[in-house]
Amino acid sequence: MKRRDFLKLSCGIAAGITLSGLGINLTAVEAHAKELTKAERIKKALQTLSVCCYCAVGCGLICSTDKKTGQIINIEGDPEHPVNEGTLCAKGAGVYQTSAANDKRLTKVLYRAPYTDAWVEKDWDFAIDRIARKIKEERDKSFLYKNTQGQTVNRLETMAHLGSSNIDSEECWATTLYARSLGLVYIDHQARV
Amino acid sequence: MTNHWIDIQHSDCVLIQGSNAAENHPISFKWVMRAKDKGAEVIHVDPRFTRTSARSTYHVPLRSGTDIAFLGGMIKYIIDNNLYFKDYVLNYTNAACLVSKDFKFKDGLFSGYDKDKRAYDKSSWAYQTNADGSIKKDPSLKDPNCVFQLLKKHYSRYSLKTVSSITGTSQEDLLKVYKSFSATGKPNKAGTIMYALGQCHHTVGVQNIRTMAIVQLLLGNIGVCGGGINALRGEPNVQGSTDHALLYHYLPGYLPAPKASQVTLKDYMDAVSYKTHEPKSVNWKSNQGKYAVSLMRSFYPEGVGEDLGFGYEYLPKIDDGQDASVMKMIDAMYDNKIKILTCIGQNPCCSLPNTNKVRAAMQNLDFMVHINIFDNESASFWKAPGIDTSKQKTECFLLPASASVEKEGSQANSGRWMQWKYAAAKAPGDAIPAGEIVWRIMEKLKELYKKEGGALPDAIKYINTDFVDNKKHFDAERVAKYINGYFTKDITIDGVKYKKGECVPGFALLQDDGSTSCGNWICSGSFTKDGENLMKRRSKADPTGLGLYSEWSYAWPMNRRVIYNRASVDPNGKPYNPKLKLIEWKDGKWVGDIVDGGAAPLNDEKGSLPFIMSPTGLGSLFGPGLADGPFPEHYEPLESPFAKNIMSGQRINPAITLYNGEKDLVANASKDFPIVMTTYSCTEHWCTGGFTRWQPWLLETQPGSYVEMSEELAKEKGIKNGERVRIRSARGSVEAVAMVTVRLRPFECGGKKVHQVGMTYNYGWRFPENGKDDSANLLTPTVGDANSQTPEYKAFMVNIEKI
Amino acid sequence: MADGKSILIDVSRCTGCRGCQVACKQWNNLEATSTVQSGTYQNPPDMDGDTYKIVRFEEGRDEKGKPYWHFFTDMCRHCVDAPCFYSAEEGTALHDEETGAVVFLDNLTIDNLDSVHGACPYSIPRGNERTGKVVKCTMCLDRQKEGKIPACVQSCPTGCMVYGERDEILALAEKRVEELKKEFPKVHALNPEEVRVIYILTDDDEKYGNITY
Repeated sequence: MKRRDFLKLSCGIAAGITLSGLGINLTAVEAHAKELTKAERIKKALQTLSVCCYCAVGCGLICSTDKKTGQIINIEGDPEHPVNEGTLCAKGAGVYQTSAANDKRLTKVLYRAPYTDAWVEKDWDFAIDRIARKIKEERDKSFLYKNTQGQTVNRLETMAHLGSSNIDSEECWATTLYARSLGLVYIDHQARV
Repeated sequence: MTNHWIDIQHSDCVLIQGSNAAENHPISFKWVMRAKDKGAEVIHVDPRFTRTSARSTYHVPLRSGTDIAFLGGMIKYIIDNNLYFKDYVLNYTNAACLVSKDFKFKDGLFSGYDKDKRAYDKSSWAYQTNADGSIKKDPSLKDPNCVFQLLKKHYSRYSLKTVSSITGTSQEDLLKVYKSFSATGKPNKAGTIMYALGQCHHTVGVQNIRTMAIVQLLLGNIGVCGGGINALRGEPNVQGSTDHALLYHYLPGYLPAPKASQVTLKDYMDAVSYKTHEPKSVNWKSNQGKYAVSLMRSFYPEGVGEDLGFGYEYLPKIDDGQDASVMKMIDAMYDNKIKILTCIGQNPCCSLPNTNKVRAAMQNLDFMVHINIFDNESASFWKAPGIDTSKQKTECFLLPASASVEKEGSQANSGRWMQWKYAAAKAPGDAIPAGEIVWRIMEKLKELYKKEGGALPDAIKYINTDFVDNKKHFDAERVAKYINGYFTKDITIDGVKYKKGECVPGFALLQDDGSTSCGNWICSGSFTKDGENLMKRRSKADPTGLGLYSEWSYAWPMNRRVIYNRASVDPNGKPYNPKLKLIEWKDGKWVGDIVDGGAAPLNDEKGSLPFIMSPTGLGSLFGPGLADGPFPEHYEPLESPFAKNIMSGQRINPAITLYNGEKDLVANASKDFPIVMTTYSCTEHWCTGGFTRWQPWLLETQPGSYVEMSEELAKEKGIKNGERVRIRSARGSVEAVAMVTVRLRPFECGGKKVHQVGMTYNYGWRFPENGKDDSANLLTPTVGDANSQTPEYKAFMVNIEKI
Repeated sequence: MADGKSILIDVSRCTGCRGCQVACKQWNNLEATSTVQSGTYQNPPDMDGDTYKIVRFEEGRDEKGKPYWHFFTDMCRHCVDAPCFYSAEEGTALHDEETGAVVFLDNLTIDNLDSVHGACPYSIPRGNERTGKVVKCTMCLDRQKEGKIPACVQSCPTGCMVYGERDEILALAEKRVEELKKEFPKVHALNPEEVRVIYILTDDDEKYGNITY
């Protein structure tokens, strides 16, 4: 086969036409067809709209999730989004590595007992029971009903909360209620720093 | 942002100062480049030549911490050369208002200063008033006590020579910027200012931004297409988290935090319902009482009656003047006064200033809960280098959270667009959304308080926790409806009937009798009456052709895309710039963007002033509400190369809080620390690197900490590019790789050569493992802005040596 | 053969954000390269078996002493008449007729690196020791076949990279050069007739670092 002929053939190959019937050794071609599977997988994937998790430009993202595995397989810019028009910076282009694809993600409740040297895995019930108990103990012990001038202040000054500007607004609002109902005044987050 | 990202394209001159937009908000440069394509000049003012400078028309360097001097010189230039927008200044700013004759400024101090309290008695900063309480004005702008004359006098001191000596910027460069930018003071021109943490991270941070606001008001650039003061916010939802008050000093919707002296809801409502005597002022904040009542209804939807202020009486109250901001929090922790810390997605052990102090303070905690998607230096503070874990007492949890793409909810971008996003996958392992973790803790606390009682149990027993669906998963849309607000009973307003449970379609309908509930008034209107979530919208309709995209998501307030847009038209409602008509008064009604307040144009009998959030209705050239003076004045950073301030006998901001603990060391004009340092982020990392260092693709692009320095300094120190160096400040030291670059140069300031260096704060000890990099904040001082308590990360003193 | 496709890279618009560099890794599922900070933003320092595209950062001072910082997003030029394709054994590379993309196939093994790399005027092909293959940019042929534009072009925020029909890109290149002449007297396109990835440079070629041109 002349190179020019191959050139013509290859066009078809890239378009995904099976040429094995032509009697040519096409292991390479098959291998390349394998490379095409990402685009094909994305076509079959669930497409979900999201927003970038870094700076506050608020770029639109399209996440492709494999329906069989439930895993995100690709994230790129949303071409319809009027601000970013499909484009992304280095961080935005890499959002995929914040997903489950990153083996450094935290996947278990971790607990460190005082004076020990390692995290140990626990379940949610253990964590929530323990956290609520510790908070309640401290609140009941240290709650400040009145200040030195005798004014009602309802404060818990021995507990503080930080964060976060990288959770959604609805979560922020829930967190505001959490902090205020406990009586916290030491409440702060990234907006100040 | 007063405007929004797409709007930048309409600017005739883009001034980027205190921001490295191309690196830290890269997509903003799509719109900056479009402005440039249309002929706009793009000016970058920054100590360092960055990727932003590379794509700007030109770059002008200045010494870190001298922005007020730089821009003060511009104010003088604008006034001296009559380049201000006279119609705008006269009609829409407080230029004509007369200030008390007792107001004085002498040697760096405004009248009313109390040296012992480090605070001002602001009574002499008040306006002169008429018998009816309205402000006395002189429309000729000639009265020596009118704001305009006071402004002129104040900035007459900022001559090119003086400014150049402070900033280290050449007089030629100063003039070049002043000329370019002040050319936008014409009705058919618009200039925008893009700023970020480079303006905020100073002891004069708020006044830096005030100086920009003064420039923009003089040039008539606020409220107009292609103009504005545009804060480039640095976290995906820092706008939303601020709106929803994850801060001690206010409640959702910027309602002031209740004070101990405001015992009842009525006391509070009286205090926050601002009053005005200006006949043309909308004074929107007069409505804050309604928002407060509606807010309480959302906090405590059931079982808490009017007798308890709908729950107001449960709320924590701060003492008058109490500062509970994060550096005070760390102080209290350092002094063993704080026992428990809960922390969501933040990394204080790298991100807060004077990190050695922060890390020591954390060791005093009895109990710590950290919620995140990756481990970080704060979650694992108990095993930091140098800590003997067998002696470390803190009981800790690290709880796995869903990543942004794994959960549904909204994020507010810098342009105030509340954008809805959807969950693309289930989070790995046991991870769940942070909101669901918070809900689980609240539910458990409710259960315990119901069963056992305890301190003020009702505050917890009755708090709203209706945050989940029937499978007990966090239901963002359910919460979003509480935030938007709903009617708690059937009512009729202006002849329209609203049924109990229907969404409140806008904050103008909120009531003070308990008949409406609203978790954050500024977001009210993000749902229609029938419950359609407008944050989900994706229509690209653009009837103005200006890229407002008013049917894409929802922008607070009331879907307004450019705030203060009434200032874009003359007092008859005619657009100042007919080519960029944001709004226009046509046939007795407004067309275009949603107008600020519904009233007719100013000259109409029922017309109103444009700055509806200010009781005066006017833009504030004179800002009597700030802690450190009604006009921005140059003060040196807490640490600088100079023992004296060229401008006055007042070296540093007289109203900042000084921290005097054993770890709060300061070295000013010290030969041990002669180099100006500034800190920043880069495109490839985010904040302390808490997410990005864990991502191999990003880490490969910026694998380790570096300090950028000039060739001149490197030569003096015998340092070559790529060598490891140690950087020391009075508070700590950290290693980095030297990046010797032409992009920094020594300044000629105050008659001497001043070296400036800079480094990123993107690194920490926890990851990459076996690295020697750590946080740049080991160096930064514990000190903040006088108004916002934002730390001074951007200007302090160090020394550098080769390792 | 039709004219195929081309990519324009107008460096006067590049902010060096490296969206393209990471988007390439993301789309192609490429492993990260282990790097160290050595006093430059340029990392990985060069293309490698897991890196098909890097942004080169070069700085200096211009004639007036003002600093400049050039960003050059380096990648395979997808030559119109590709020497690498001719140097590869039959069946180990393909030159797609429709787009003009030059793609190395899985059986182009690392023992062929010298001949393929030696043929390339732009020093693009790299060996991947882990997989034993010779690799480079595919111009995202797989995406193109699905009607998508290459991942790097899609990510580019400022319009530095533009993808399109070759004749349109050539015309655009000419137009851009013309427009930029006033601001940058040295502006020129790099070998537009010979390559499909056409650079517009605003300065002398050697000011962009270790590129082959």
